[in-house]
Amino acid sequence: MLRLLSIPLALLLLLAVAVIWSGGGAEEPRADFSFISRTDVNTLDIGQMSYLADMRVAYAIWEGLYAMHPETLDPVPGVASSHEVNPEKTVYTFHLRPEARWSNGDPVTAHDFVFAWRRILQSPGEYTYLHYYINNAETYCMRYARREPVDFKTVGLVATDPNTLRVTLANPVTFFLDLMAFPPFFPLHEKSMRSFAHVGQDGRVLYDQQFTRPPSLVTNGPFMLTRWEFKRRLRLEANPHYWDIANVKSRSIDMAIVEDPLTMLRRYEFGKVDWLADIPSEIGSELMGMNRPDMHNFPGFATLFITLNCKPTLAGGRPNPMADFRIRQAMAMTIDKKTITHTILRMGEQPATNYIPPGVFAGYQSKPGLPYDIPAARRLLTDAGFPNGKNFPRLTVIFRADRPAVRDYVQNIVKQWNTNLGIEVALQTLEGKTLRTRVNARDFDIAPGDWTGDYNDPSTFTDKFRSNSENNDSAWINEQYDRLAHAAASESDPAKRFRLLEQAEQILNEQVPVIPLCHLTNSYLFRDNVKGINLNPRNMTIFKGVYVQRNP
Amino acid sequence: MIRVIAFRLLQFPLVLAVIYLTTFMLVWVVPGSPFGRTERKLDPIAEQAMKERFHADSWKSFLAYYPIQVITKGDFGRSMQYQEWSVADIIKVSLPVSVTLGIFALTIGTIFGVMIGTLAAVNRGGLFDWLSLTIALIGISIPSFVIAALLLATFTGRLGLFPIGGWGGFREMVLPALALSLAPLAYIARLTRVSMLDVLGSDFVRTARAKGLSRFTVIWKHCLRNACLPVLSYLGPAAAATFVGSFVVETVFSIPGLGQHFVNSVKNRDQTLILGTVMIYSVFLLTFNLLVDIAYSFIDPRIDITAKASS
Repeated sequence: MLRLLSIPLALLLLLAVAVIWSGGGAEEPRADFSFISRTDVNTLDIGQMSYLADMRVAYAIWEGLYAMHPETLDPVPGVASSHEVNPEKTVYTFHLRPEARWSNGDPVTAHDFVFAWRRILQSPGEYTYLHYYINNAETYCMRYARREPVDFKTVGLVATDPNTLRVTLANPVTFFLDLMAFPPFFPLHEKSMRSFAHVGQDGRVLYDQQFTRPPSLVTNGPFMLTRWEFKRRLRLEANPHYWDIANVKSRSIDMAIVEDPLTMLRRYEFGKVDWLADIPSEIGSELMGMNRPDMHNFPGFATLFITLNCKPTLAGGRPNPMADFRIRQAMAMTIDKKTITHTILRMGEQPATNYIPPGVFAGYQSKPGLPYDIPAARRLLTDAGFPNGKNFPRLTVIFRADRPAVRDYVQNIVKQWNTNLGIEVALQTLEGKTLRTRVNARDFDIAPGDWTGDYNDPSTFTDKFRSNSENNDSAWINEQYDRLAHAAASESDPAKRFRLLEQAEQILNEQVPVIPLCHLTNSYLFRDNVKGINLNPRNMTIFKGVYVQRNP
Repeated sequence: MIRVIAFRLLQFPLVLAVIYLTTFMLVWVVPGSPFGRTERKLDPIAEQAMKERFHADSWKSFLAYYPIQVITKGDFGRSMQYQEWSVADIIKVSLPVSVTLGIFALTIGTIFGVMIGTLAAVNRGGLFDWLSLTIALIGISIPSFVIAALLLATFTGRLGLFPIGGWGGFREMVLPALALSLAPLAYIARLTRVSMLDVLGSDFVRTARAKGLSRFTVIWKHCLRNACLPVLSYLGPAAAATFVGSFVVETVFSIPGLGQHFVNSVKNRDQTLILGTVMIYSVFLLTFNLLVDIAYSFIDPRIDITAKASS
């Protein structure tokens, strides 16, 4: 009989061993401030990061030449205490503050910036194109990638002394200081990375990205990363060597990763965390409806739209009716966007007729786009040769299968087109990456999409639709638009630039290669004892000033 | 016996190689790149640089690099999505979590499943039989995300009996283990009941009872051992499946286990991680099937696993 009992006994024994093996480990004391992020950090390599969760941590543990003002997000001095610009606005000379320190106590020097930026040109990532504003950087990057001989001296980046960095730009860039506060422009500590360097057969140095894992990682921001448990949590502790440590309000920050909406909400409700940084749509619209004082909903930095393929022919050589802008206008004018924002999305979004979110760029004024006007749309359709949608070819909209909200608004739009224009559009769901591949290859008719800005300038939106842009999913080509965008890129007067970009946006709004649906919002949950979290459109949190007021 | 085990063990590398290549083929033909991450299209130069860094610029360079690394160093390479973490790192931190939880769940499932199944068979047609069938039906038909959410909503928070998800000590394990155990428990209960009924009606049981042995002794000593065999054969694949974790339960309880990577690595087209997780699962499956075969002959000496090999 013992034999039979041996199975449960063996299982119990295994369990005991496993419990020890998987090791709960000693719990650290609760952090001064704790929050939940829905996604784990993908990478903390500033040259490779692109996700919001990555950037959020990067802003806490690094500091660029300039930093962002927590409320306005305007550039404020960071590692650099001041800078000078030549009259042509192409040469920036940054003066680094001598008291700036790495988390190991080493001084932050101009060389650290040169090292980091050069590494980005040598191992490019998603945002390397921002470095191309620097004179000759693009050529250097291309030649390096093609394994041609390169000389870094040609690039407009030089450390004239340990505390002075001179950057020469190809053209004036009015938002260059904003870029200095963006992670791809942060410095790296070369000495601590040396043990991660691999020298290839061609003599090229490649740094293993594992340098970002504690305890190896050395950073220069208000916080330093002390623990990174994969897909579980990150622990940040105040950096004792930080030059402005006096203004760092929390001693420690805990970022927990919780994917499930209900679990994260429950943890928040029972006071286990202070802040929910990403409110999933599954619970967001309901929370919005409850009018809770701790639910903070505010305009975002993103626009939701429907991408229309503008190529003359569609896949399989079908003629594309949407190549005619009148058809696109008719399609845009027959969508009641209010239905989508008020009954489907329900997260406080504003219905949109124009492309660029309003109120994000101070001094920039978008003109309204096409109105909701069914009779006018029908006339346009008739003018284009399809009275009442007669003989209109059957188009297909492709969208992700795993996003209920997307499914709902796509179905709603297709229904509206059918009722208002009499055209038939088929629905096809696809898995995320498959969809992305088809859209990138412009192998689709219609697809829902969205765009989130990266930096503090309207060109972060308008550049997407330049005819040579990789991200111009519509394959829309408009010479006048290109000319305006090009002129804006080399214009040094900010006001003039904005006028040029406003004109460009107006062309986009009227030609509708994408039909803007609404401007998205961000939402946070935090109680009023949490101080210092700012509701800015770009969803940027400057942790330096964040703290929880606890009752003694 | 030892010869058979040795023979089976020798087969392992071959089977694993076939699985590796098949998975690799599927991963490679599926559309979508692991490197384009956001709405933004990657700069072709950046994409090329990443591909080269991961030896993934063509299927040839992938196959020329990774299998050798796997064989010589047991190294599956870096995750293409989480570039600071090697597949081995990820498995090392997440597998113990999943295995612990799996063993916990399977222990509950086996002990209670066999118990309920036996009692149901003995009280055939009675209230307990009906009750156990209901439990089994519930266990099999309610998806685990419902059970998990229900457990979380009932026993955490205000009641404060258990923490709201997370991983650490024994208290964190109870609820997810319960959620995970329900399906195997139900399955085992039904298996036990059916085979127990079978055994209870057989001649040797009647003989044993006629000899004057007590009902308990007969059930405990004579029937259970025979009735357990189907359970045992189920336990092999069930152990492999539960030990590698469950996507749903891990997500609801925010547990850093391996299960989530099975789903997410495919979503992310994280080719190296897909291969790593599939290989781990394969090794588990092969090992547990072998263990089950060995356990068979251990519990029931009539079964001779060498028979097939020697014939």
